[in-house]
Amino acid sequence: MRRRDLLAGAAALGIFGVGAASTFGDGLPGTTSGSEEQSPGTVGATVDPVTLPAIDAPGSPPGERTVPERGRVTFVEMFATWCTTCQASMSELRAAHERADDVQFVSVNIEPVGETVEKADVTEWWVEYEGSWPVTYDAELELTRRLDATEVPFAAVLDAENTIQWTGRGYKEADTIVAEIEAAQ
Amino acid sequence: MNQEPTDGESRPTVRTDRRRFLAATGATALGVGSAGCLDALPIGSSGQSADVVLDPPENYDTLSEGDLPFPIHGEKLPEATVPAPLADREVTTTEFVGDRHVMMTFVFTRCSSVCPLLTANLVQAQAESVSEGFADEMAFLDVTFDPEYDTPDVIEDYVETQGIDRDAGNWWFLRPESHERAKEVVTDTFGVAFQFVPEEEREMQNMAWIHSSLILLANANGYVERAFTGEPPNPARMVDEVNTLRERW
Repeated sequence: MRRRDLLAGAAALGIFGVGAASTFGDGLPGTTSGSEEQSPGTVGATVDPVTLPAIDAPGSPPGERTVPERGRVTFVEMFATWCTTCQASMSELRAAHERADDVQFVSVNIEPVGETVEKADVTEWWVEYEGSWPVTYDAELELTRRLDATEVPFAAVLDAENTIQWTGRGYKEADTIVAEIEAAQ
Repeated sequence: MNQEPTDGESRPTVRTDRRRFLAATGATALGVGSAGCLDALPIGSSGQSADVVLDPPENYDTLSEGDLPFPIHGEKLPEATVPAPLADREVTTTEFVGDRHVMMTFVFTRCSSVCPLLTANLVQAQAESVSEGFADEMAFLDVTFDPEYDTPDVIEDYVETQGIDRDAGNWWFLRPESHERAKEVVTDTFGVAFQFVPEEEREMQNMAWIHSSLILLANANGYVERAFTGEPPNPARMVDEVNTLRERW
């Protein structure tokens, strides 16, 4: 029931986008640009790895994580603690994480962690929604930039060469996530 | 309660209503095309105005002929005076001229889809301003168009949840006094359309309004440098725009 509501919500977001689907900035998504290379965040684009500080939380030892990891498939989910769809997505992510083998499975918080949002707030959120895999934060927004993550939740699957194979916005079911990971392997 | 003044029109379905709403938004564009200051519009096809430092958007020529309801590049930031309940004073959108660059957006706090993303863009720019030591060169204005629901207490919770830095002294959450005043400020002055969705027609209980989305970035001389509409931009790009504006200023 709740899931259905969330899916409907995602559809509503789509409608807003159609309402005024232009961005009056240069080189932004939705504008046409004669760009010389693949636009960031699109399938086929290759993403240079970013080193991200880890949040000390269940399934997530402290230290640093390099995302995406070269040599194996990466599944990355961008999220924020205020995002209700991100909360609702956690059980699907958990199921996907349990089923997927040989993949870098990582969640990345996009809030200003260490400034107005404390690391402890993210840890608390992670515990509450039962995360059990590495979680980091995008301190310099560099991964946000490279994946062109304009919303949360936003997920991407990258192959072993760090080329984007799939992106997914909003709520995603475990089956979808696992299928996309396996397709990239 | 939150009901809009009715016009006696029947609303067959949400979807039809939305389409009609979007069409009406387009029509509004003609009606309030002078929301900015027409005399400040850059003339000629180069699109570059002496009043702005960021490059014009690449589709500027087409856009500037489109008579949009909101400023996009080179127009004066529209002026409105609105209470800022958490600061216990009124804020005028143009009071920062000569002093601070201004970033503005328009939301309702119950919204769980696009509004938190709009606010998140301002939050990231604010965090950058604090960490890089230019907090006093910026003013962030988050305006609600749902004042009946968005009481000062609700706003206070929202500010906390969204990670807004209240101590930085550069964020004002603005709350028009009434629905009518919200229409004047948000739609008539800034060109952001919004419409109440009756409870029985909502896809999600909290989604009480449909609305167009807009983030404005205006320079410290009071001229609009950028307008982002439709899908909110990637917050990293928003931070880049602010940094570019500061470098060129």
